[in-house]
Amino acid sequence: MMEILRNMLRRKGRTILTVTGITVGIFAFTVMGSMALRFNKMISGGKLYVTGQITLMPKGTSFATGTGGALLPLDVLDRISKVEGVDAVAGGVELALEEPNPDDPIGGASFGPPATIEGMDLQSSYRNRNWANMAMKSGRMLEKGDPDTVVAIGYTIAADKKLAVGDTMTIRKREFKVIGIVDQTLTGPDQYVFMPITPARELLIASNPFLKSLKDRADEAMKISDADLAKLPAETRKQLQDARAFKLEDVSQIATASWEDGQDPDVVSNRIKEQFKDEVLVLSPTKLGETIDKAAAIFNAIILGSAVIALVVGGFSIINTMVMSISERKREIGIKKAIGASNRSVAFDYTLEAGVIGFVGGLFGLAIGVLAILFINNKTAESGAEIFLLSPTFMVGVVAFSFILGIIAGLLPALRASRMNVVDAIREL
Amino acid sequence: MAKTLIHATGLKKCYPLTKTNTVHALRGVSIDVEEGDFSAIIGPSGCGKSTLLHILGLLDAPDEGQYTLDGIDVMKMKAGEANVVRAKKLGFIFQGFNLIPTLTAKENVMQAGKYGGMSMKERKVRAEELLQLMGLQDRMDHKPNELSGGQQQRVAIARALVNKPAIILADEPTGELDSATSLEIIELLKKLNRENNQTFLMVTHNLEVANACKKTVKLKDGLNA
Repeated sequence: MMEILRNMLRRKGRTILTVTGITVGIFAFTVMGSMALRFNKMISGGKLYVTGQITLMPKGTSFATGTGGALLPLDVLDRISKVEGVDAVAGGVELALEEPNPDDPIGGASFGPPATIEGMDLQSSYRNRNWANMAMKSGRMLEKGDPDTVVAIGYTIAADKKLAVGDTMTIRKREFKVIGIVDQTLTGPDQYVFMPITPARELLIASNPFLKSLKDRADEAMKISDADLAKLPAETRKQLQDARAFKLEDVSQIATASWEDGQDPDVVSNRIKEQFKDEVLVLSPTKLGETIDKAAAIFNAIILGSAVIALVVGGFSIINTMVMSISERKREIGIKKAIGASNRSVAFDYTLEAGVIGFVGGLFGLAIGVLAILFINNKTAESGAEIFLLSPTFMVGVVAFSFILGIIAGLLPALRASRMNVVDAIREL
Repeated sequence: MAKTLIHATGLKKCYPLTKTNTVHALRGVSIDVEEGDFSAIIGPSGCGKSTLLHILGLLDAPDEGQYTLDGIDVMKMKAGEANVVRAKKLGFIFQGFNLIPTLTAKENVMQAGKYGGMSMKERKVRAEELLQLMGLQDRMDHKPNELSGGQQQRVAIARALVNKPAIILADEPTGELDSATSLEIIELLKKLNRENNQTFLMVTHNLEVANACKKTVKLKDGLNA
């Protein structure tokens, strides 16, 4: 072992360059890999969630691009809940936590979902199959009977805004009392504010000019008593009655359905799809899960692909170094064989030397990568989600991988060294 | 009668230089070495001295001939066995000392012990004992570049002795030393031969070395002269 280290130090400059090559590769691998881990964690949380429910959206919208202004009226949701196999249906609204800044409408780009208000229908008996209960860091989740002035918030939101249970949180100029903080999930809910559906609907209407005008008209129409209404001309009366038909309860952008025990969610999804073809889009758990897997696979391929390129380059630099150093040490190999070293022992020594170069490069690369990750995570934790997830298994794996990369890269030059003709090697001067 | 360590007859070896030109390094050389011999292979440059030594040292294989080393029929030996025989039965001393530059004197000696199958502890004790015998007790932890030529060659001799070889093969052991140091080394080898009955076979064209030998084998143009 000492000999290997001394051999590495014999050509300090070259060893440093090679180790640097590996270090850069492993650094990229660590950073990219941790990003992929974080992303996958987020994706798998999201997948767990969407595969625990049948997702319903108004016709004319899409899961990827949002609901625009389309709504799911209460009456439709009621009818869906009566479909065979459906256990319960809950309407929901989602809107950004912060009102978009007119000067910066896109907002700071962040990794993962933006901070979102999730309106929860507390009256409904609906539960997500895979995510019935959130683990809480402190306080409790919203329950049936909670007033409209309380919220439970995600881990990241609590950390960003330095909120604790009992604090008052101002959301779009309305005050809410924080009654619970959800434990870190590393996925969607970290960025959620769980709010009873009525205030969420009101905030949504207030932020949407079209819905606001409908509501204003309804409110105006409501002011006119039934007696006065009867006196108005038929056409005007019809308009006012239409305007009155707008109800807060009808404002659901998205709905989720659960299925009864023993039912196949895909069969239930299809049943809903057939009956409500013209009113809602039905996303079955399986279909949505597959879509998410596909997106994750592409992302992982891009991330890991770029890391692999870095490593291949590192691997070649080890091969190059070993070939050079073995041709320099030809005579030495000859001596070793002359005094009784077996081919295997010569091959072993040089392979191990390449492995050690890989290992040292791996350690440095990992160390720099971890430092960079901690630094960036620390920065981004202040402004939103952390981008990287460091796992001990992954870190051990990275160094082991680097060692094995060295071994593989060293194998060919080492075999060449071991097969060297002793007489030729000794004559070399 | 002394035991025969090396019995070789009719050794032939040629090296193809180009497609049409072949060097016949050995054309049928015979040699016998007995236990306790202190012999030299002598002859002009290019007579095949080194080739013969390489073949006897199992570093190279003859094209034809018979060779028995300490009772082992080398011609029937399987590939992969040569290094074991080399480690246990043979010791080598080269012209250019040929120590591993990254290892200390002691480590260089110990390395041969490792190939000979000694345990870490055994080879450490043996290396220290031999270096002491060579008068290098103060130089054990020095690297080759911190030693003089004579000192380096003594380390090489200690290395050759580690596995208690049946025979030590030396290729121009004094070739890179000044005459005073040469004499010193030859005296050392003679002492080892005299006191330990260590067998030596060396290649040389140094007359002083040849004269110091009890037996000489003369070669000319790849044949016994």
